[in-house]
Amino acid sequence: MTVNLPRFARPLGIGAVALIVEYLLLGTQQFANALTLGAIYALIALGYTMVYGIVELINFAHGDVFMVGSFLAMWIMTTIFGLTGPVTNLLNLVGLLAIVMLATMVGMGLIGMFIERVAYRPLRHAPRLAPLITAIGVSFILQNIIATAFGPSPVNFPQIVPADKFALMGGKIAYLNLFIVIMAVVLMIALQLFVGRTRLGRAMRSTAQDREAAELMGVDINQTIAITFFIAAALAGAGGMVQGLYAGSIKFDLGFFVGLKAFTAAVLGGIGNTTGAAIGGFVIAFVEVYATVIGYTQWSEVAVFTVLILVLVFRPSGLLGQQLGERA
Amino acid sequence: MKYGKLGALGAAAVLVLSACSGSATTPPAASSGSGASSAPVSSAPASSGGAVTPGAWCVGGTVKIGTELPMSGGETANGVPTENGVELLVAEVNAAGGVAGCKLATNVQDDALNGVHDPQTGAKNMQTLVADASVIGVVGPFNSGVAEAEIPISNGAGLLMCSPANTANAVTQPPDGDQYRSAHPDKISYIRTATPDSIQGPSAADYLYKDLGKTSVYIIDDTETFGVGVGDSFEAEFKKLGGTVVKRDSAPKSTTDYTPLFTAAAAMNPQGVYLAGTTPTGMGLALKQGRTVSGMETIPFVGPDGVADLGPGGTQGATITIAGAAAANVYGTVGAAHDLASGSTFVADYTAKFGGAPGAYSAAAFACAQIIVSSLTKAAATATDLASAREGVRANAVNSTNTFDTALGTLSFDKYGDNTKPFISFYKTDMTLNGGKGDWTFVKQESFTDPNAP
Repeated sequence: MTVNLPRFARPLGIGAVALIVEYLLLGTQQFANALTLGAIYALIALGYTMVYGIVELINFAHGDVFMVGSFLAMWIMTTIFGLTGPVTNLLNLVGLLAIVMLATMVGMGLIGMFIERVAYRPLRHAPRLAPLITAIGVSFILQNIIATAFGPSPVNFPQIVPADKFALMGGKIAYLNLFIVIMAVVLMIALQLFVGRTRLGRAMRSTAQDREAAELMGVDINQTIAITFFIAAALAGAGGMVQGLYAGSIKFDLGFFVGLKAFTAAVLGGIGNTTGAAIGGFVIAFVEVYATVIGYTQWSEVAVFTVLILVLVFRPSGLLGQQLGERA
Repeated sequence: MKYGKLGALGAAAVLVLSACSGSATTPPAASSGSGASSAPVSSAPASSGGAVTPGAWCVGGTVKIGTELPMSGGETANGVPTENGVELLVAEVNAAGGVAGCKLATNVQDDALNGVHDPQTGAKNMQTLVADASVIGVVGPFNSGVAEAEIPISNGAGLLMCSPANTANAVTQPPDGDQYRSAHPDKISYIRTATPDSIQGPSAADYLYKDLGKTSVYIIDDTETFGVGVGDSFEAEFKKLGGTVVKRDSAPKSTTDYTPLFTAAAAMNPQGVYLAGTTPTGMGLALKQGRTVSGMETIPFVGPDGVADLGPGGTQGATITIAGAAAANVYGTVGAAHDLASGSTFVADYTAKFGGAPGAYSAAAFACAQIIVSSLTKAAATATDLASAREGVRANAVNSTNTFDTALGTLSFDKYGDNTKPFISFYKTDMTLNGGKGDWTFVKQESFTDPNAP
């Protein structure tokens, strides 16, 4: 197994340079905040980019899938485990986090597959605008289901990770931030390995390149697309869970703004490219936090979209997107 | 941005849906005596048993008081106890035979869209109330931003609004106030019992600086009419006292992560935080997340009435419910007197009817309804139809020479519609109350003078 160095070197190089610049600009404490926020954006952006890569659908319901994931995780924690406050036993805490995360990811994956089956598959050969409108419809359906089930006011998310902090390079970092970043990185590496090294991953890549040719070679297109939606929704579920842990309260319309920013991250990184989506997520978070640090919170969204426009003006297919014309 | 446009389209669809569900008219159930021992309004007619035949203005034997408040979702803790104040008065007046033989009902409108107050929904509700000819006056709205959208409509139609809770200066005072009533500048249609932010903001600054002894503060507002206004007046007073405002931020209600804001502010070591806004527009989350930042764990957080909703922990949407343990050491101001008029049985009556303590603005809403009833009593003598009764209520209520005996004491209103006897009450959280779930406790109240009083 040889690693294609030039292919990996560029994104890693861009990532490393961006991280160093941002650390110098933000300082330890805000760097940790931005990294945490970026990890959440990146987890959602991956879903946008994977689905676009394989079926060329901008899945606008994805932000709401993320929101449903946070409610599913909250429901599992409170209703099944009866959790309300911090879990102090480290072993119990790690075990609970792992179980809740796994259950959330599997549950959301199944929901993602279900949405694909009923809302998108029947429209696969319809004009492009049709599934786009369906996606927006799904977005509203998900929001209204959650608003009806849990009410439109903010719902408390059990803070099971104790608020303890450790000192690091002049800052005080909460263990929760560390957990979120490590978990996101592990999931992203696992995704890269899955897409790059497994049979199913190869099927996904070939379907993305040329669906008909892949079908002729014996790839089950329906299964491959369903698995793509499963993974995308599972990652969003993981993101939803950590968003709940991080913010402490969740709301049915949470997916709109977070989803919009994650979508921006996916476009910024080059839609269809998973590494690009991850880097895009961190870039968006850093721009947002930097706007806050220099005192322009009100303008943070303007800053985010200004960066997007600048990138698209100079690199129309995004930071890591390949310049392949119509079809990626 | 394609999604933005389509999202707005969808939001409009939701707006129509929620407006439909919110416009249901709920007549009060209590038409017979429900233990109303006190005389509800001092100026009510001495009718004994409802033998009076109502005038021609009383079409169908009933007229309505409209209520326009945020009643659902994150606003439940704000709107519902306030609306209950109106329902209580309506039940008491009806038990005493009505106004000049005419029974009262309510037309309840909800301006919460997706659980948060919404000016466009409020404007639409106001048009509904204007169109209902039997509505002779409106109690509401709760939020100043909503009032700004509604006053031009009510002013154009000559329908009285009495807000128990609006505090933004702009709502009544020039130059903005003049613009809202430009349809009929000589016939104002809006009065409020709550104390303007030109008093609420500075009194919070005085409290933090003098009573709590803190000399530096971080201010964050929610970018709305109310939040920015109260934040500005707080900031000006705190600086005047000699305090330092280390940082001022504006974060819209769409903010999902307040940690970077508070991290940046904590680096400047403020001794206190002022949350200029309301809990549903982000201050609840700001409090909860702000507390997790190093240096912010124990310093006092102070908020205006949008934060000090006086809802005990566990109430849906209440500040203490949302913030949980982070609600410890939080102080708040409310633009109304805590102590009611001597001899008022309001608190006992309210508790007997609704089974819980009144909200921050329940008594004020009761007083607003009293003002409408008292004005209607005067207007009833000359009114010939519903339109003249509505105009009579408006003219009597806004007349700055009239005084009204209410649960809040004797009230009168200046030429802009502001209460001439403003009060500020101070509260703080106590997390040991309410079975460990926390509640607000009363600290003190102060009276001020209205600079525009005649």
